[in-house]
Amino acid sequence: METQAITFDRASAMPAPTWHFMKSNEARIEIPAGLEIAPDVSASVPPLARGAADEFENALANAQLAWDEEHPMPTEAELAERAAFLAAEADATYGGTAQSDYQANADAIEEARSLAMAFETGVGDEVGAYLRYAAGDRIVVAAGLGEAIEASVCVRAVTGAISAAAIDVVAGEGSTVRLKLHVDSPEETPADKSNGAPAGELAGAPADSADAAHAIAGTTLRVFADAGSTVDIVRSQTLDDGVIDIDDMGLFTHKRANVSVCQTVLGAGTSFAGLAADLRGAESGLVVDTRYLGHGSQKRDFNYIVRHHGQKTECNLKANGVLAGASEKTLKATIDLIRGAKGAQGSERENVLLVDEGVRNKTVPVILCNEDDVAGNHGATIGHIRSEQLFYLASRGLAQDAAERMFVSAIVEQAAIDAPGEEARRGIVRLGERIAPGFAELFDDGDAGVRTSALESEEDR
Amino acid sequence: MAEKTRMQVADIDRSLYDFRYDDADAEKLDAGLTPDIVREISERKDEPAWMLEHRLKSLQIYNDIEMSDWGPSIDGLDMDNIVTYVKPNTEQKSDWESVPDNIKDTFDRLGIPQAERSYLAGVGAQYDSELVYHSMQETAAKMGIVYSGIEEALHGEYADLIREKFMTLIPPTDHKFAALHGAVWSGGSFVYVPKGVKLDYPLQSYFRLNAKGAGQFEHTLIIVEDDADLHFIEGCSAPKYNVANLHAGAVELFVGKRAHLRYSTIENWSKNMYNLNTKRCRCDEEGQIEWISGSFGSHVGYLYPMSILAGRKAQASFTGITFAGRGQNLDTGCKVVLAAPGTSASVETKGISKDGGIQTFRSSVVATPAAEGSRCTVSCQSLMLDDMSRSDTIPAMDIRCKNVDIGHEATIGRIGDDKVFYLMSRGVSEEEARTMIVNGFAEPISKELPLEYAVEMNNLIKLEMEGAIG
Repeated sequence: METQAITFDRASAMPAPTWHFMKSNEARIEIPAGLEIAPDVSASVPPLARGAADEFENALANAQLAWDEEHPMPTEAELAERAAFLAAEADATYGGTAQSDYQANADAIEEARSLAMAFETGVGDEVGAYLRYAAGDRIVVAAGLGEAIEASVCVRAVTGAISAAAIDVVAGEGSTVRLKLHVDSPEETPADKSNGAPAGELAGAPADSADAAHAIAGTTLRVFADAGSTVDIVRSQTLDDGVIDIDDMGLFTHKRANVSVCQTVLGAGTSFAGLAADLRGAESGLVVDTRYLGHGSQKRDFNYIVRHHGQKTECNLKANGVLAGASEKTLKATIDLIRGAKGAQGSERENVLLVDEGVRNKTVPVILCNEDDVAGNHGATIGHIRSEQLFYLASRGLAQDAAERMFVSAIVEQAAIDAPGEEARRGIVRLGERIAPGFAELFDDGDAGVRTSALESEEDR
Repeated sequence: MAEKTRMQVADIDRSLYDFRYDDADAEKLDAGLTPDIVREISERKDEPAWMLEHRLKSLQIYNDIEMSDWGPSIDGLDMDNIVTYVKPNTEQKSDWESVPDNIKDTFDRLGIPQAERSYLAGVGAQYDSELVYHSMQETAAKMGIVYSGIEEALHGEYADLIREKFMTLIPPTDHKFAALHGAVWSGGSFVYVPKGVKLDYPLQSYFRLNAKGAGQFEHTLIIVEDDADLHFIEGCSAPKYNVANLHAGAVELFVGKRAHLRYSTIENWSKNMYNLNTKRCRCDEEGQIEWISGSFGSHVGYLYPMSILAGRKAQASFTGITFAGRGQNLDTGCKVVLAAPGTSASVETKGISKDGGIQTFRSSVVATPAAEGSRCTVSCQSLMLDDMSRSDTIPAMDIRCKNVDIGHEATIGRIGDDKVFYLMSRGVSEEEARTMIVNGFAEPISKELPLEYAVEMNNLIKLEMEGAIG
């Protein structure tokens, strides 16, 4: 079966938009016509951990029952009192507080009291549904009470095709689930020869990566973390430039559940990564560690949405990246501290290193706050290598250009060292070799502890 | 443990600002917005033909542009019910004794003549759509400084200069209410500071909107030539009505090479006001703009002063505070464009929300490819005084060059119980303790204001803090 051309205009949308001239409110994903739907996916899931297709829906429905029990519906008298209060407010304040659309929508979702309605994924419902359609059968990883499960899924891009996996993780009470995702291009697509940056050169003329796309690879992942469970997700992406990567995630946490997500985005001409989390259970937490590299004419889009519903919930979003060549990146991160989430803490921090003149970086770190007993903070540092760092490196005989390249290869090198498995490491090394010739030699002997930069080694030679 | 209770106290009398006079003597055009109304405004002002053309073109743009979809709702504002031009029953005067009693009394109660006598180099006072008073000290006039009504200046020696600059920083195409302003603007000030002239005392314009259901659309144009220095203060208020009023002014500032301009605003519109104001400044080489901004009133506020650093090593600083209480949705912040090498900007804002009010900090920092070696820091702190209110922070950065240093920090939270406890243990009541803490929170802004305005701001905070014990 072949795809028809589809455009998703409101993919990876920020919950609270800002000025349209900033062109950061949402992303546009174009699915070209004529791609085969041909998922090339391999999954390693222990037989006892293969769940039923509706495992996630059932878990969410059970969570709804528990939530309803803990949060009973207001009585008719309370509803009447609330309506009277709102009417009085409207009279006294010129029709009530003039909420923005996003503020009114947020209130409507809370009033609906539906966990299913509140559940969302980072790239958005439409794109998620499309990936699920393209993926076919869903991979369901289910861990029972107190079990420890490790699973992995590998998605390989296919030239002229869309290759996707739809995955659900349902971590039962007190269980531990570790899921490794690897999205890779084992074969060289034609676009790599014509449109990508030449081997060893990071700079490249800007190009519309979407136009050059010969393939789409992606994953759509839903995670239900039940009370006291621990879920670790590691996703590494090493696609070639002719491929569009779509990484769509949605998470739900019950009481004291902890989820960590580590994303490494090294390849793909255009990549979209979106993560939305509903920290519903008290004392549940989320840590997201994102590392990315943009070079040549690559485009990166990240969208994070963390909704703090539960008391004393915590999230910590970290993103570190390097942009070189004429690459572009947009990172939108929203921490939403919802009324009732007393004691919640949300933190986000991004560091971006800009290496070349032609790069473009957009960062939109948003905090929405409807509760006073919370702490939210965000920070961003965007810029070049500090002059004292450059001076130090120059005193060691490293020219500025070489120092800049060293920071680029360091991102890849660290990703290779932290790779979740051998297959992922091979993909990272293959990509590293293309960016910095000689990179692969660092890992020839399988010594993941090598710390010397490929470019530094090249100079030494 | 006993459940913590929240005491609510009604807001105290805002009579300092909330008084009004009958506007029966004023001349009003029909409510709504039509080409005929626009033509009539232009005709009454005996404007040059290019201005009428500009107005009509702006009206067309207004009709064509959609309202923005990202900010507070303005559904309660029906332009068909807004009177865009209200002329008070007087011409512009240059001594207070000639101003009609009711208008003079208004400005007396707001302390404007007293401020003029005490520490200002000049005052402009606008009542509804027209300036009713304009005066500048002789010493300032002798320095070559021009401070007059902009309409008056349109007929004088600076007419060509005004035509060259008018609505070039804020074109009518910028947004719907910039277009509205272009169509129906009326009143406002023109300031020209010649090269090398430094004025030690501030100039002030005060805008009072008295008429019910009216709009105020004053235009302020300030040109500070190379090596010159000016402090300009803007104040605004209105009585409270039970229908919507609209303020859609525009402020265009041009700062020359090595020149310096400080633009201070204490905005205290009544809580039925839609404040959709636009302010923009362009700085040439090594020029400096300092914005000091306090936003307290309005039902809905959209306010983001913009600094365009177009010259090498130009600098901008923005220091702002926004206080949103019951029934208010104030969306404020700033925009910075780093458009030349070595430019720098710093933004420090404080936001406070209480009693169901919504306060949003929104900003943009854009570094163009020409901004090599530039830097910008943004610091934003928000304080929530109860769990009924809302405080959002929406900053955006777009960086298009390599050698820049851009930093952003923001925090959000509430007054720590330990701090209140400490003050109460020293014999301070809870309400006083919270007011003291909020005043301390706002101190970085109030210390930048002239003493009299800092006192006014602290009084406004005290006023807003009444009933905020929680």
